Amino acid sequence: MDKLKQVAVIIPAYNEEKSIGDVVRGIKRLGEGYIPVVINDNSEDRTTDIALAEGAIVIELPCNLGIGGAVQTGYKFAKENGYDACIQVDGDGQHPTNQIPKLIKSLFEDDYDIVIGSRFVMDSDYEISFMRLVGIKILSFFLKILTGLDIKDTTSGFRAINRRALEFFASEYPQDYPEPESLVFAHKKGFKIKEIPTRMSNRMYGKSSITPILSTYYMIKVMLAMFIDLFKK
Amino acid sequence: MLPIQIIIGVISIGFFIVTFEFIRKRHLREEYAILWLATSFAIAILSLWPGLIDIISKITGFYYITAILIIIFVFVIAILMHYSIVISKIKDMNKELVQRYALLEHKIKELEKKKS
Repeated sequence: MDKLKQVAVIIPAYNEEKSIGDVVRGIKRLGEGYIPVVINDNSEDRTTDIALAEGAIVIELPCNLGIGGAVQTGYKFAKENGYDACIQVDGDGQHPTNQIPKLIKSLFEDDYDIVIGSRFVMDSDYEISFMRLVGIKILSFFLKILTGLDIKDTTSGFRAINRRALEFFASEYPQDYPEPESLVFAHKKGFKIKEIPTRMSNRMYGKSSITPILSTYYMIKVMLAMFIDLFKK
Repeated sequence: MLPIQIIIGVISIGFFIVTFEFIRKRHLREEYAILWLATSFAIAILSLWPGLIDIISKITGFYYITAILIIIFVFVIAILMHYSIVISKIKDMNKELVQRYALLEHKIKELEKKKS
């Protein structure tokens, strides 16, 4: 590579004081070109202080926007500051930071617009609850019917996007169920998408925001949203 | 005057006063207030001039109370739909503002750091 690519590592965080330090440190260890950008989604804890102390760029939202709005803020930041790519990493530590270069490498060398770090494409020993597995399988099948895309891990937030995709997502990004919905957006824009295996750890702290009781309701809403996205102007 | 006319008349006057108060205290924007003022005005006219209902019935062919209920129902649904659209738009604008605000605040902090 002629010039060092600047990659904004976008970390949406809501009350992640326990894990944010490790995540930022992990990114710093990757070396030059990887800039940790924490989007604090109006946390009530010390997320900002800890992230700043570890040397991250911190952008604080004055109201809680949810994951979609937070990630999009990161894309807007990257767009305005001339970054070559973005990679989204959860603030809870479930996305291993040492896998970031692998995704970025694939993005640039194989010329993809979006590279998804997947829990299901071979070589991954991520343990997952049965309910969640079924849900993700259904979403994957539904996405294939809608768009023809063959993505196994539709809800993975661990994804790298290039300049072209980040410029688009900075202006248009789904707010409610950003991971599966943005794939429909990407398909409509004709982005090249690839899924590569990554080793993910189970959440270090905290609980998933999706409880089994609500997951059926969640599934119906996501699929409805994806279906409508297909017809959006 | 029938008791029902008096009741409806009182309701329409009360409705009118409440709407006017909301506009005066700036709880309601004029564009929405016009709708409610018109509604209270319509109720008032109907209570003062019951014959109007007969005229409307003859013109439109709505003789049954159910038909009138359906009209009211559609009217209410239309208003609710309108509000959903307004809320969605406001939510979207709010999101844009929150993001812009956060990015600008970050920029200001960076500039201040550079200065000191």
